[in-house]
Amino acid sequence: MPLMTPPIGSQLVDLGSALLLLTCFGIVAQRRLSACVDLFALQSVFLALTATLVAFLTGIHHIYVAAALTILIKAIVIPRILKKVIERLNVSRELVMNINVPASLLICGVLVMVAFLITQPIIPFGHLLTRDSLAIALAIVLIGFFTMIARQKAVTQMIAFLVMENGLFLGATAATYGMPLIVELGVFFDVLVAALIAGIYTNRLQDAFDSVDTTHLSELKE
Amino acid sequence: MSDLTTTIAVSLLLLAPLVAGGLSLLLTGSRWLHVTNLTSIGTLVAAEVMIARSVFAQGSITAFGEIIYIDALSSVILFIIGMVGLACSLYMRSYMDEQVARGVIAPKRLNLFFFLFHMFLLAMVVATVANSLGVQWVAIEATTLTTTFLIAFWRRRESLEAGWKYLILCSVGISLALFGVVLMYYSSLRVLGDVSSALNITQLQQVAGQLDPHILKLAFVFLFVGYGTKVGLVPMHSWLPDAYTEAPAPVAAMLAGVLETVAVYAILRCRGIVDQAVSPDFTGGLLAVFGLVSFALAAFFILLQHNYKRLFAYSSIEHMGLAMVGFGVGGPIGNFGGLFHLVNHAFAKSLAFFAAGNIHRRFKTVEIDQVRGLTTVLPWSALALLIAGLALAALPPFALFTSEMQIITALGSSGLPSEWTQPRTGLPIVVLLLCSLIAFGGLLHRITSMVWGVAPGHIVPGEQWSVGHVPIILLGAVLVGFCWALPPPLQQLFEAASTLLVNR
Amino acid sequence: MLDAFALIVMQTAVLLVVAPLIVGLIRKVKARLQCRRGASVFQPYADLVKLLRKQPVVSSTTSWIFTATPYILFASTLAAGLLVPVFISRTPLSLAGNIIALVYLLALGTFFLMLAGLDAGSSFGGMGSSREAIVASLTEPAMMLSIFAIALTAGSTNLSTIVHKTALLQGIVTDPSPHLMAFAALVIVAIAETGRVPVDNPATHLELTMIHEAMILEYSGRYLALVEWAAGLKLLVFLTLIVNVSAPWGIATSMEPAALGIGLAAYLVKVSGLAVFIGLLESMFAKLRLFRVTDLLGTAFILALLGLIFFYVLRG
Repeated sequence: MPLMTPPIGSQLVDLGSALLLLTCFGIVAQRRLSACVDLFALQSVFLALTATLVAFLTGIHHIYVAAALTILIKAIVIPRILKKVIERLNVSRELVMNINVPASLLICGVLVMVAFLITQPIIPFGHLLTRDSLAIALAIVLIGFFTMIARQKAVTQMIAFLVMENGLFLGATAATYGMPLIVELGVFFDVLVAALIAGIYTNRLQDAFDSVDTTHLSELKE
Repeated sequence: MSDLTTTIAVSLLLLAPLVAGGLSLLLTGSRWLHVTNLTSIGTLVAAEVMIARSVFAQGSITAFGEIIYIDALSSVILFIIGMVGLACSLYMRSYMDEQVARGVIAPKRLNLFFFLFHMFLLAMVVATVANSLGVQWVAIEATTLTTTFLIAFWRRRESLEAGWKYLILCSVGISLALFGVVLMYYSSLRVLGDVSSALNITQLQQVAGQLDPHILKLAFVFLFVGYGTKVGLVPMHSWLPDAYTEAPAPVAAMLAGVLETVAVYAILRCRGIVDQAVSPDFTGGLLAVFGLVSFALAAFFILLQHNYKRLFAYSSIEHMGLAMVGFGVGGPIGNFGGLFHLVNHAFAKSLAFFAAGNIHRRFKTVEIDQVRGLTTVLPWSALALLIAGLALAALPPFALFTSEMQIITALGSSGLPSEWTQPRTGLPIVVLLLCSLIAFGGLLHRITSMVWGVAPGHIVPGEQWSVGHVPIILLGAVLVGFCWALPPPLQQLFEAASTLLVNR
Repeated sequence: MLDAFALIVMQTAVLLVVAPLIVGLIRKVKARLQCRRGASVFQPYADLVKLLRKQPVVSSTTSWIFTATPYILFASTLAAGLLVPVFISRTPLSLAGNIIALVYLLALGTFFLMLAGLDAGSSFGGMGSSREAIVASLTEPAMMLSIFAIALTAGSTNLSTIVHKTALLQGIVTDPSPHLMAFAALVIVAIAETGRVPVDNPATHLELTMIHEAMILEYSGRYLALVEWAAGLKLLVFLTLIVNVSAPWGIATSMEPAALGIGLAAYLVKVSGLAVFIGLLESMFAKLRLFRVTDLLGTAFILALLGLIFFYVLRG
């Protein structure tokens, strides 16, 4: 069997993307909220490493900026905010899930397949450094989307949103070597503000409903 | 008109809400807040007029080294933002002051309200004039972030719930749109190769024909689903009725009238690029089918409502669906009708929410059953409600009738576009007519029951004249006037914009 | 022929000698993390020697299964160990079987251990066996799938071929995604199969939680020594598998003495590194409730499945 050995760099980028996907599964399988936050922080670190690698391989400097911002905002600031929220709310784990863990994982597996099938026709066109990263990025976005539906705690929904953002950032880095810097800065700003706002909301929801379980949010009906 | 005036106009456009927002945090006293607000909106409108004139002269303008791009389409959107913004500002003068006087909110929170309001305006203006699709995305996400606290402004349990739903659903939707933007960038980068400008509309329009159709299709699906969430298209609409019900009346008017329009604008912008590489039937079919489904479902939901604010919310979904059908079917008539429908809907819906705000303040309820005899209690608001209701039901002599007719004509002549089969006319037309009949009956039935009848005993009758009535009168007049004769400059502007939308 | 024979002897010796050392190392790491000095890393050797010298006590209610099990367990585990490349990419018994044989040799040992747990008729033994049955039935599919995923990327079910190709940077590293998924699944499987935290705790005899310890509660003397030694061997076999399939670099690819020396040294370093990591892991996590174990193993199964999917979707 002829086995070519492509450059080791692009394989490392693929490996980084796969690690991101792995942490995604960790978040889906994990019930403890603080562990979810830790996994998210870990995912952001992997993301930053992957971005740094891409920056190094392509020599595009502004990706370094984005990687540094990822570490600062997504691996340090936002996890701290979320930890504070968890501490104040005194919730530690997700007790009831709409869909149990093995079933969620199975669905996520299907989502990964879907992501690969969707991106399959467009992968060969690019000047892509990697084969899998764009598909994995889409898979992460879809898994984040699914987690948002499957979980009920406000904090988990927030983490799911952030996971989606990570997937998007991976997609942008892997497929296009980062967006224009101004767009990237804007996106980071939006994410940070969104996290802050969600933090404020969870506090207010706690005060108003004595719970951050969003199933209690059912006063508005048809 | 020289470049300098354009630059000045564009700077004014961006600076007015920015400066006013900053001032809103510093000033004390509601009077000064309102003065700042009105000045800023006035400046905005003046800048828009200047811009519209140079757009007429040059076709399209760019400013600040191609960061800003304005053509006829963005001018129309700016026009809607300015007009509805002005009406809301006038209305807020009486509405917000009364809330402070009644002790619903602390006077200091007025600062926050105005700050967020201006940031919201700024974000929408940026989304409309940005040349880069990425910046446009950032601005649209910013509208979500600024409005979520405006929706939850009363801080009741229900409003917090509505705000949270809005934040989560719209953020998620918009994340999908970002993936679309990434894909768009991915495809254009291969052609353009220039990192910093590959997302610019000006650049994309030039090379759109060479972009890869597979990627563009995928990108458009993501963009459509993402921004469609903001528009409130079925099935991504579930946040919308809650948010409109819980938001303060002027905010609801802004959301329904302007924010949805800006989101539609974002979709149209992307469509303009995608259509050059992909068959327009692909995007058209997507728009028209989602529009038709939204229209039909919202019409049925209108029948079920007991809450007049939710009634208007579903009517928003309905009309946005209809405008989408117009854009989807395309052609000169369809696009013009869709665009005109957006404008008319913005005016009619803000009028409806102003009236609803007045009624809510007096009756302290949003239940339709408990509101009776508006003609005696609030004669002016009753008239406004009636005008808005009739207009939203698309009866003549209101402008929505004209635009709805145009859309139906376009659908009848070209049929629902489809990538795979022949365009179909029969079934879509029947569905459209049937559902508009249902919506018509539902709206009129609910609204007439509120307007006439005997008022409950504990409600004090009589309506005091206030500044808040000025926009109500004006909007009513505009709605009637647009049906008879569109002022020539506006007519030209709309036509120029709809020609931009017609592809090939 | 002589080569093969020498290799069998060498590999058997290495496995038998290193296994207790790894157990001791993990205990030491855990002790240090709990701020204890802990027993010497060579303590398991002393334990084995002591147990081998003691007279076994066998319950009068047991059948031949009870006395035969330690030998079967020990022999099957050792045979499994000989199917895995340890410090040289060739395996001594590669003619006798491949990766599937490895899985079923290990399963054979587990099966007899479960029977032995039931044999004495004590309530603890039965409980342990039933729990082990749950865990084993859940790990087996995950293990098979993860190994298949790795085998597919290498294009062979023969472990020595897989390791050889990986060591020479062929095949596997060109596909990091399926490889990583399968690797993660394999780590979880290894933890579950060898009865480590968070599935089972080898250091406890608490009746509510023990699994492996409950099954071997009736054993004493040389029988216990063999069972314990086999448990250590099983752990070592899994660690070896993980280490050599995912990062075989340094392994000897020929029978030259120098290469063998380097291979052995690299092997010892990698395996003890992994052992330290397991010690850390065991200190960081609490044991899961038995009914939550299904979640963990479900995760492993899905990950392994994903590895396969990745392979087929991407290259199919």
